[in-house]
Amino acid sequence: MNYKTFVTSQSIMMTASSMVFPFYLLLIRNIGDSYAQFGWAYGLFALTAALAHPVVGRLSDRVGDKWLLLLYTWGMAGMMLVVPIIENVGQLYVLQIVMGVLGAVQKTTEKTVFARQNDEAAAGKRVGKYHLWTTIWGAAAVIATGYLIDFLTIGSLFYVASFLYVVSGLVMGYGTISRSRREIIVDEGL
Amino acid sequence: MKKKVLACALLVYGLAAAGSMTIYSEQQSQVNVRDVGRLLPTMVKEVRSVQDSYELQEWMKNTSDTISIAGMQHSQGGQTMYPGAVMLDMKGYNKILHLDRKQKKITVQSGATWRDIQNAVNPYGLSVQVMQSQNIFTVGGSLSVNVHGRDITYGSLIDTVDSFRLLRADGTVINVSRSENSELFPLVIGGYGLFGVILDVSLNLADDELYQLRTAQMDYDEYSDYFNGKVKSKSDVRMHIARLSVAPDTFLKEMYATDYVLYRDQSKREKYCKLREKEDIVLPKMMLGLSRYSDWGKNTLWETQRDYFMKKDGKLQTRNNVMRSDSAFMEYENGNKTELLQEYFVPFDNYAAYVDDLRALLEKEELNLLNISVRYVGHDEDAVLSYAKDDMFALVLLINQGRSKEDIKKTEKVVRKMIDVTLAHDGSYYLPYYQYPSQEQLEEAYPRAQEFFQAKRKYDPEERFQNLFYKRYGK
Repeated sequence: MNYKTFVTSQSIMMTASSMVFPFYLLLIRNIGDSYAQFGWAYGLFALTAALAHPVVGRLSDRVGDKWLLLLYTWGMAGMMLVVPIIENVGQLYVLQIVMGVLGAVQKTTEKTVFARQNDEAAAGKRVGKYHLWTTIWGAAAVIATGYLIDFLTIGSLFYVASFLYVVSGLVMGYGTISRSRREIIVDEGL
Repeated sequence: MKKKVLACALLVYGLAAAGSMTIYSEQQSQVNVRDVGRLLPTMVKEVRSVQDSYELQEWMKNTSDTISIAGMQHSQGGQTMYPGAVMLDMKGYNKILHLDRKQKKITVQSGATWRDIQNAVNPYGLSVQVMQSQNIFTVGGSLSVNVHGRDITYGSLIDTVDSFRLLRADGTVINVSRSENSELFPLVIGGYGLFGVILDVSLNLADDELYQLRTAQMDYDEYSDYFNGKVKSKSDVRMHIARLSVAPDTFLKEMYATDYVLYRDQSKREKYCKLREKEDIVLPKMMLGLSRYSDWGKNTLWETQRDYFMKKDGKLQTRNNVMRSDSAFMEYENGNKTELLQEYFVPFDNYAAYVDDLRALLEKEELNLLNISVRYVGHDEDAVLSYAKDDMFALVLLINQGRSKEDIKKTEKVVRKMIDVTLAHDGSYYLPYYQYPSQEQLEEAYPRAQEFFQAKRKYDPEERFQNLFYKRYGK
């Protein structure tokens, strides 16, 4: 996987997560009966993420970042298929726990990718560019969704997001395939 | 190898996506609706927003769906919903159609709120005759529950209605007034949406007036005398509201009242006629919150509220502004609990004895009572389901309770006992609230209930207009 593949894939992923995020919040609020349940749903996510971080970190050293990022995108694609059909707060809690683990996978791995690069002098520049593009895509997605939602149901929004996660995974997968040929991460002059 | 894995992954994903979408569309074919009390969530077939009466009429002619009708959905007994029915959401059907300033009449679509009417008539120095203390409700919904309010001169809402158009189950539209299709007039008003869809309504208006507030503090057993001597017999007192303490220190003993007295210099009205908008609700919301959880909170709320209102003595306010008090501070979102209303009517000669019996009962029972307001309704038996069998005081009780089955059972036990006390004093209770009362209590409070339900089946033989209230008591 080269740097460009990585940024492209992460940008698509960011587009997907940004477009559903506000509506996902609404959904958790509506499924729960109270702010206490809202708090629990969110707290469970953060708590599982916290516990998963060290495990994910060690795992990334053993199996490689790309496989974990693949797990993340495909996992999220699956989760986005579940979100529209959950009916009660119990299911929501389970969903939040799984997403907590996946969230930890993404957060840890995006950092280990950078940590493994040898070019220390340009590290800051690379991280800056990475955040620039992923955040721009995220912002564009949020704005566009504001308009799109007039034409789509909230359910179909999650399906679109799921599909985008798959695309992100495919891009990443392609990067993984090419990695076996190139073996090293190459910064293509970005 | 990798291509195979990829193909497999895509296949699994495609199947999962198809499955999810099938379940999703299945779920979407029904809509879960709930009322403000949140105790009767109901799966309806569809919520249909109404904007145009011709379109609605065409749809009615071509459908055999069961129908329920909804305005703001503040009724708490499921009057706006029915499982599997199409719920007509009337809120979008809200135009002001005609204002006749000379005759002091207004014609509005039934989804219009009192607020819409106030905005339309206030510039012309006119005002609504009878409505609730809050202006958030739709005219159609208010007609269906035959409301009353602070006004003491015009009776119940039914007395202020000139005529309305009614869309019946077969798709025909008829005019209903005291002279045309007159049998339906007292059935539809206070009819809980069981006879058809109220389309446009013509209401009589009053002049907007400038009132001076007069406040008084008293014990409950002095209240009837106070009301007889200083309110009812004085033609310049136009509106009235009182509160009965629920604070442990003065429980069902202390009261304070506010009278709205016609001000001597009406030329000053214009100075006060700007409609007031939302008030600051941070403090009342916090106080009400404290009173939910502790006796200390209840005592503090009562004292602060009493002192605050007593200080309003002498202040000037227009009629339109009196009729738009804020209820936003009462909005309550707790997941496990809800707040419900009960309203009991008692003839005013029996008031003191009634309050004594109610106190004796509530001191034994467990009920988190947050507020009791007291209003007056004059004798009025126009509506078939009429609650004002005499000149009566109306006590509105705000109750905080849990949403679990056990909590509902607990409250039901106390409510039924309170209604027994009310009925023993020749009183009655208001029907839009939760289905706590028994069938026997309903029939005792409303002797014409069976006549009402039979008329419903006469005018709607296929029982197309349905709701949970009718399901519970009507058969």
